[in-house]
Amino acid sequence: MSTTAVESDGKRLLLDYVMPSQVRMVESLAEIVEGAIGDRPDLAFSTTICLEELITNTIAHGLGNAPDHSIRVRILRSQEGLEISIKDDAPAFDPFHDAPLPDLDGDIENRTVGGLGLHIVRTLMDEAWASYDGTGNLITLKKNFR
Amino acid sequence: MNFDYTLQTLDGIKQLHLQGRLDSATSMALEKTINTLFESNQERALIDFSGLSYISSAGLRLILVAAKRARQCGGKLILCNLAPTVREVFEISGFLKIMETADSQEAAIALLQAA
Repeated sequence: MSTTAVESDGKRLLLDYVMPSQVRMVESLAEIVEGAIGDRPDLAFSTTICLEELITNTIAHGLGNAPDHSIRVRILRSQEGLEISIKDDAPAFDPFHDAPLPDLDGDIENRTVGGLGLHIVRTLMDEAWASYDGTGNLITLKKNFR
Repeated sequence: MNFDYTLQTLDGIKQLHLQGRLDSATSMALEKTINTLFESNQERALIDFSGLSYISSAGLRLILVAAKRARQCGGKLILCNLAPTVREVFEISGFLKIMETADSQEAAIALLQAA
């Protein structure tokens, strides 16, 4: 892991972290993210929950729960906001394209949490997209400063 | 693991207090207790979030299970003391439209006693 600040295109690298594809690691990731964005607890919270939702989604659906893959998380900060990326080595998989839309208006009996994680990501972030480069999937999130 | 909970019954009201982070890694620890919260008809319970700093969709799923069980058994569930960030996640998820909340444990107990 490296948290050394690097200037690139006017962006500062806040975090470059490689984690194993294991759900139990989301807690230590949260601590690391909170350390990297410690001056903005609100942004740290939004970033942490979006990372958890997307990484657990990647582990379950992209990697079939295989624990021996690596997932790289990077957070860049610019004048405008945060740019967060998640890179895996899974087969091509677009969580935003394949996700079911959650039913937010149903009554308690009919509500499910299917699709809720990605709905949270879409709501908390200003932009979210995924691409495949031949070696894995790159999910990019943007969160503008208000 | 940075999550813990306590469950006690006072004056016929179950009180579940959550502490720490309810995420994909820790929610398993709560699942069994959530499933037993509404075992008998017309059970009344509160879940106190005052010690909870974080919840993701994995934790929301458990709260939804509790709310569904409360409805099925003709009981009542009140959520209280949600921190602003936790409350925001509930709001985004549409849960505030289908679940009842209170600002304090005392207010939650009053609502349950009136049920």
